Amino acid sequence: MTTLRKNNPEAEVPNSEFSPISLLEKVREQGRVWEDLAKQYGVDNADPPWKINLDSTCEALAAEQCTLPVLERRNEEDVLSETLYKDVPYPERQLLALVHSMIQRGLIDEEELAARMKFIDKRLNSA
Amino acid sequence: MPMLTTHCRLSFPSAGSSLYKTTNAVQRITENRIQRIKEDKIMAQDHKAAPMVDEVSEFEVLEIAVRELAIEKGLFSAEDHRRFAEFAHSIGPLPAARLVAKAWLDPEFKKLALEDGFTASKEVGIDWLNPTGFGTPSDYCDLRVLENTPSLHNVVVCTLCSCYPRPILGHSPEWYRTPNYRRRLVRWPRQVLAEFGLQIPADVEIRVEDSNQKCRFMVMPMRPEGTEDWTEDQLTEIVTRDCMLGVALPHPDRKGDDRRPVHKAANPVHGH
Repeated sequence: MTTLRKNNPEAEVPNSEFSPISLLEKVREQGRVWEDLAKQYGVDNADPPWKINLDSTCEALAAEQCTLPVLERRNEEDVLSETLYKDVPYPERQLLALVHSMIQRGLIDEEELAARMKFIDKRLNSA
Repeated sequence: MPMLTTHCRLSFPSAGSSLYKTTNAVQRITENRIQRIKEDKIMAQDHKAAPMVDEVSEFEVLEIAVRELAIEKGLFSAEDHRRFAEFAHSIGPLPAARLVAKAWLDPEFKKLALEDGFTASKEVGIDWLNPTGFGTPSDYCDLRVLENTPSLHNVVVCTLCSCYPRPILGHSPEWYRTPNYRRRLVRWPRQVLAEFGLQIPADVEIRVEDSNQKCRFMVMPMRPEGTEDWTEDQLTEIVTRDCMLGVALPHPDRKGDDRRPVHKAANPVHGH
């Protein structure tokens, strides 16, 4: 993977051929999106409560160490939003695209992520 | 072993004794308290808690999992993340709105804002070099304030991605990030603005400023009629985010935190 400076206008246009990642496909198919949840529970918040955490994760990844440069992530998000995650609303598709980019770069491992999700799900639903 | 018997003598206070008075007072306080608890319970029954989403979605779990793993792997620290999140929570369009309102009232400040947005921002509490208090995550600290005139209307976009003057304007709206807005605005600005409900007369030039790796832009709209005697605080309220992106114009009757209009159904279902 080419390392590029963030905010470089000449950032490489990402490969438009992204392969589905089974864990993210499962989330895409089974996950309940905020607009449905908000409607069901009569909540009028435009964004899910995790949205700012997601933005902050993107910021932190692009900060000093430049682990995932802004432009690379945004370019990939654009492509993924028009392909694999075309039917997913925002900001859920922003989240899926970010994780897709991270797994593809080897920043996190799919199996490790699946295990952590299981653990967190149990933790959040324990109360 | 002989059985021990304890004798307990109960004494009752006689009427008029100080102990009797104290007992009565305690009784009254207790009765009052019970009455208040009963009233509180009745009020609690009437007062319903605000609705909330009472289930955890897969997306919420995924967001937490990614964040925790990234922190554990040292991609960033928990403290970095907390600071970004706290910073994001605490900013809104207000600093930029105040900058515009100040410029409307003070010609000297307006001159400064147009010549040096960076320095003018400091006067409304925003230091672009250090907006989060721990170093800006990027190198964009060149704020250009674009003045609207009777013959020129400015509008801001980022065709490349979604560059936005966040330190002074908060988070970008979703539509600002869409390829639809980014691609079409530069080609058909008049039509795209019309889709926002903003009709710009044909004799007014529209200038689209494309944000880039060094510059961020915001629009200084024209002060609307009907605000002649207004204070800076009053003016600040009507300079909404969209006005400063150039997709809306300020109006004396429209504030940033106005509730959305509710249009009742023309043919409502009975009972709803």
